[in-house]
Amino acid sequence: MSILQSFKNLVRSRSIHVAYVDVGSCNGCDIEVLACLAPRYDIEQYGIYVHNNPREADILLVIGAYTPGWEDKLQGLWEKIPDPKVAIAIGNCPISGCVFNRPHSYVNPPVSKHIPIAAQVPGCPPRPTEILQAVLSLAPEVFKDYERRKK
Amino acid sequence: MSRYLYEKDLVAMKYAILISTRHDRLVREIAGDLGISHQNLRRYMIERFDMILMENLPARYEAGKAETGNDAPLADALGRVLYTRYIPLLERERMNAILGQVREMIENGTPQEEAVSRGKRLIGEELRP
Amino acid sequence: MKKTVDVSIPIGPVHPCFKEPARVKCETRGEYVLSAECELGYMKKGIELIMRGRPWQEVMFLAERICGICSVIHNMVFIEALEKISDIPVPERGSLLRVIVNELDRMQSHILANFSYCYTIEHETLGMYLLDIRESAMDELERITGARVTCAYIVPGGVRFDLRDEDAVHLRASLEIIERDMKRYIGMFEGGPLIALRSKDVGVLTKESAKEAHAVGPTARASGMPETDMRLHHPTYQKLNFKPVFRTEGDNFARIMVRFEEILQSIDLIRRCLDMLKPGPIRGGGIPSAGETVYRGEAPRGELSYYVKTDDAGRIVDISVQTPSIMNIEACTHYMLKGVASLADVPSTFISADPCIACTER
Repeated sequence: MSILQSFKNLVRSRSIHVAYVDVGSCNGCDIEVLACLAPRYDIEQYGIYVHNNPREADILLVIGAYTPGWEDKLQGLWEKIPDPKVAIAIGNCPISGCVFNRPHSYVNPPVSKHIPIAAQVPGCPPRPTEILQAVLSLAPEVFKDYERRKK
Repeated sequence: MSRYLYEKDLVAMKYAILISTRHDRLVREIAGDLGISHQNLRRYMIERFDMILMENLPARYEAGKAETGNDAPLADALGRVLYTRYIPLLERERMNAILGQVREMIENGTPQEEAVSRGKRLIGEELRP
Repeated sequence: MKKTVDVSIPIGPVHPCFKEPARVKCETRGEYVLSAECELGYMKKGIELIMRGRPWQEVMFLAERICGICSVIHNMVFIEALEKISDIPVPERGSLLRVIVNELDRMQSHILANFSYCYTIEHETLGMYLLDIRESAMDELERITGARVTCAYIVPGGVRFDLRDEDAVHLRASLEIIERDMKRYIGMFEGGPLIALRSKDVGVLTKESAKEAHAVGPTARASGMPETDMRLHHPTYQKLNFKPVFRTEGDNFARIMVRFEEILQSIDLIRRCLDMLKPGPIRGGGIPSAGETVYRGEAPRGELSYYVKTDDAGRIVDISVQTPSIMNIEACTHYMLKGVASLADVPSTFISADPCIACTER
């Protein structure tokens, strides 16, 4: 491993920018993601920074069951995120549509049909600690030795 | 990425708002009051209103109905405040012109009720495509 | 709405300050906002369409999931509408426990709204303090109902679980802590000169405009309309001698302060409920029957009304939900944002009305 690569690994392990996008949920998962910011869970002590800006994000948290309004937008948002990037589905909605996936509804789950999803955190809603653990356990898998694996 | 990312045809989503129980009842009530088909009224609303105003139509209608009595009696009967401020279907100037026509009809001997209902037809004519 | 100028600045759907996707289009001259529009359609799930034809046992969970932030009140209003249709009595202890859980939910929702506002005006310190104290309220909610969000605590004829004595002691202790800290934070917000610069006289909603848009909840009460509080018509709250708080300025500052004062009022209401609690049954019986009704309740964001029509088997034939955010976002986009002096005030004014897009679109 080159020195540059190990330096990159070191930096990336403590600097993870997170953006979240709500594609049609009930808001319950939204506030649990927000609760991760609280000093009780303190997401920033792990070097995770929630800023909700796709242009500088590494991890995209997808919440919600995919409504028609996002048809032309979610793909564009995913393309805006620079590599290396990864998307995590938070809650039951992006995985299966939860209670909204019934006849006559407008939703079109799962979200993995539309953008690649690397990890899923089920729950309606999942607890903040579960969200935190998903981000923390996925980040090294994706970002460690990214350049070397890409070759 | 130079195409317009944010502009997209919203008609389907606006229609989805207008077919909920409360909105459907409201659109039919107004359409019946003004003597036009509810399809025409729906199209007029979809062309003119933004989505949050559309969602809020039943509450505004309720508030507008409760507000009657503060305007001139004839204007009230015609629904001037209701159809210009609460449900902004018409510009106020256009509404005042119709009100003038109704007044004229009453001066020429038409009974008030008939004149008002003809005035409402006139408002309906304005909304037709 | 007619186009008046050629510069239209869209904000959203993904914006660092918005918790949820909405697109606000501002027509501006320089930075001065002449008019604004709000386009939705990012959260439309069609819950009302799913609810139709389903038994109430399913619809009650769907009703909760209209809004995750104020799930308790959606649960409560739907169940109380069913109770009104079918004349199901609620034991006194049950109705008091409902009020306790509802007020805890209101506290956490108001704290979250004020956190969002502080975060939007970049006062992150106060925002984090508030988010920390919110966890105490969430803990109490979890201790009583068993879940943080969407707890399905209220069922026809009463509530699901009783409040144990040790939980009541713990709840009182937590309220003590929340009240002490909240008073300090309110002092910080009230006395902060920079907060006042960003908040006072920004986004003014006059009483006339509030009436026109049928504004409800803290948004309306900050514009001097205390009569919009639906808790005044609720029998349990009448027993508790409930008096709504209100202000008359109608600006961002007043809206946030009304929420802060309501948090203190909720603490007071919970204490009075705890004093009135007597041992007894928490859940009576009853069978939902056919009928239709319109039932209104006071959500953290304002008046929430359910139109429910059921058949003999307890299935929902027709349902329509009018959530408070609809009126408040409308009042915000068409009245508050008009005349905002700078574009930087647009997100903060929008957040000060406590928009909840999931409610609005259902």
